[in-house]
Amino acid sequence: MRKLRHRLFWLLTAFCASLACGILLLLVGAIAFRGWPAISWNFFTEQIRLVGASGGIFYNLIGTLILITTALVTCLPIAFGIGLLCGVYQRQHKWRSHLMMLLYLLNGVPSILFGLFGLIVFVKFFGWGKSWLSGGILLGIMMLPTVTVAFIERIEGLPAKYFEAAKGLGLTTTQVVWSVIIPQSLSGLITGSLLGLVRAATETAPIMFTATVFAGATVPHGVKENPVLSLPYHIFILAQDSFDPAVGAKIWGTALVLVGLALLLSLLALPLRLRIHEEARHH
Amino acid sequence: MTGTAPKRREWDFTRLWSLGASAFALGFMLLMVTLFIWQSIPVWKHEGISYVTGKSWFFRQQEFGMLPMVYGSVMVAAVALIIAVPLGLGTAIFTSEFLPSRVRLVVKLIVELLSGIPSVVYGLLGILFLRNWVYDMLERFEPLNGDTLLTAGLLLAVMVLPTIMTLADDALRGVSVNQRLAARGLGLTQTETIFSIVLPQAAPGLMSAVLLGLGRALGETIAVFLVVGRQDNQWPDPIYSMRLLIESGQTLTSKLGSSETNIAYGDPLHWAAMVGLGLILLLMTAAITWVGIRLGKGKDGHA
Amino acid sequence: MHFTVKRSLALGLLAISLLPLGASAQALKINGSTTVNLPAAEAAEILRAEKKLNIQVDTQGGSSGGISMVGDGLVHIGMLSKPLSDDDKKKYPKVNFKLTHIGEDAVAMIVSQDVWEGGVKAVTKQQLRDIYEGKVKNWKDIGGPDRRIAFFNKEPGRGTWEVFTHWVYGDSKKAPQVSFPEVGGNEETRNKVASTKGALSQLSSSWADGKKVFALGIKGEDGKVVIPDAAHIANRSYPMSRPLYFLTNGEPTGDAKTFIEFVLSARGQDLVRKHGYLALADLK
Repeated sequence: MRKLRHRLFWLLTAFCASLACGILLLLVGAIAFRGWPAISWNFFTEQIRLVGASGGIFYNLIGTLILITTALVTCLPIAFGIGLLCGVYQRQHKWRSHLMMLLYLLNGVPSILFGLFGLIVFVKFFGWGKSWLSGGILLGIMMLPTVTVAFIERIEGLPAKYFEAAKGLGLTTTQVVWSVIIPQSLSGLITGSLLGLVRAATETAPIMFTATVFAGATVPHGVKENPVLSLPYHIFILAQDSFDPAVGAKIWGTALVLVGLALLLSLLALPLRLRIHEEARHH
Repeated sequence: MTGTAPKRREWDFTRLWSLGASAFALGFMLLMVTLFIWQSIPVWKHEGISYVTGKSWFFRQQEFGMLPMVYGSVMVAAVALIIAVPLGLGTAIFTSEFLPSRVRLVVKLIVELLSGIPSVVYGLLGILFLRNWVYDMLERFEPLNGDTLLTAGLLLAVMVLPTIMTLADDALRGVSVNQRLAARGLGLTQTETIFSIVLPQAAPGLMSAVLLGLGRALGETIAVFLVVGRQDNQWPDPIYSMRLLIESGQTLTSKLGSSETNIAYGDPLHWAAMVGLGLILLLMTAAITWVGIRLGKGKDGHA
Repeated sequence: MHFTVKRSLALGLLAISLLPLGASAQALKINGSTTVNLPAAEAAEILRAEKKLNIQVDTQGGSSGGISMVGDGLVHIGMLSKPLSDDDKKKYPKVNFKLTHIGEDAVAMIVSQDVWEGGVKAVTKQQLRDIYEGKVKNWKDIGGPDRRIAFFNKEPGRGTWEVFTHWVYGDSKKAPQVSFPEVGGNEETRNKVASTKGALSQLSSSWADGKKVFALGIKGEDGKVVIPDAAHIANRSYPMSRPLYFLTNGEPTGDAKTFIEFVLSARGQDLVRKHGYLALADLK
């Protein structure tokens, strides 16, 4: 009887797991199946024509790359600083837990509110209009928690003996930071960045009012009134408004490219994460 | 590792930078809250408390009551959790308790990779498949169309599943192996061990997973926007009636994501009403996140 | 080794802080109605290719978005699918709005196939008013099948909605505020109506394909039914038609002028026709 109960429970949880993974894999399958016919070399190298019905997504891809590069450049120095404060300078201090809480809260801010914030501050108050820079900065702040937390976890995963040995040589804390901690924990910063970029590349809400237009933008040559095209916004607009069935395939093609980009970034982080995972088990 | 506190502070560039960066993050958060409060003042003056408790939103008549949107947000999130929590928890128990550690890692990674599917793509899947399925499924109840709070909730359930599953799995793994072994030594089956030892011990962490999932569900904009129908002023009568689940509705986020945000800008009062929605949304999600993190003691995989 | 890392990082930070702000080649920015967007976006494409003009076209907030953005000086040209009201002008006392007529469009009341085949081919103004105010909820009350009316309302601010309420109530401001599911773009409207039984919505007549969605005729007080086809729109006998405009602050100059002149030229007018609207020449 007890054995039977155990069997049944095992089956139940196995069913949940298969269902969960099944649903998710099915979704990716559906996107790939529908999007594949649209994918060709020209799809990547041409710009949109006929309101999305023909041509490709060259400038959308470029725009998204511009946005995530800006986001990364904005985010890294700040994540680096907060990571050192939490992981090294204020380790034993109550400030650390407050800062960590701040990061989690920031992580929980709905993405549309970044858009609203950007609309007030960048678009209207600074008078930038729609600009790639506001989008990049907003996305950068949005991904900050992901990057910082991964960095801190890596620093705190370092064996104490590294730190003590370096201190023993009479180095100051900052010297220890540069000579030991940073070279050893860079992988945390990199994996965090890749995972953060997945979010930055795929969000629509923060950039729809602040940084991206549907058609006509190319490569920006300044800040003010220089929006970019982007992949998520392209899908968002076409999903609501398209003139003919030819658009259908293009939407799925764009969706597949965006999902592909997200998977690529996640997969790039994979080897490092597995290595970190292995090391963590050996310490 | 444990560092000893330095005897003398070295105020060098790196240390200053770390302080500055942290101040920036704090400043951003404070600025966001302050801005939303300041920009929404006109609507608080105009409506008073009925801004939050009012049931009608007619911007041409300058009536701003947000309750139906709060209702929409809550209902959509509730549907999502009712489905995603059992499913996510079951999956987490399976991966953490019944799978060998290496296989577990593979499943976890797959789920995490999948959490990278953009919300706009979920919205697209919702428009092309889900809304029609829901419409056909509910044929008996004669829904007016396939864009309903239920549709949005179902879509959200799939979207928050990875969050809940990953965090719940972490919480379960946090229970020490020795306790499990001791229970097995007393002759309990694995299932009994899970129910008597693992789940009670992991309870705060599991609660935290649920809350962080809820925070995500409340904050999701684009996918909900595309399938919720965006019908204003939907208020249940009587209050426990579930009829509105299969009608179109509006959530805080779908309202903020709509073109009304652009239209409102020229009119200080209307704009204040829109920003006020953002303020309420921010306070709701921040409170939920705070409680969730306190419970989970700051173990958050990803958002 | 660590010193170089530090230095390059410091240099990097310096470079970021010195990012050039401002100064850019001015792009021609256009925003507004999705109805006007179709020919405008295509015209922009041609001019980008032929004259190397830098043009950005967006459709945030529909016609109202176009007006407020021209008013706030955020864009050069607004795309409007409704006339400018006195209220719009009052909001921006300092702005000298200038409208350029580029074509004509009609708003059709479209229904799904089951309604059309159930015998509803035309509606009166009073029937539309009753549906809009929620007094009539079932098609059988107006000679159709026994099915609830699934009315999708175009977002307020969209030109289509303005034309509809202007005709039914004499003035968009007199329209009661109602709560129906809202639809935004034209394709979204068409999709939702096509896939929903008993559906009704307002849509640009050029989008009513007669395959998935069907345009109802309008029954006048004399009992005559007028359908929204080119002939009836041109001779103004179909009541719900609307002008398509470009809106500028003052007389258009520079790139804006080039753009508007192109749309008014024979090639531009062909684009207007291509998307199912009436060109200026058709209205004479």
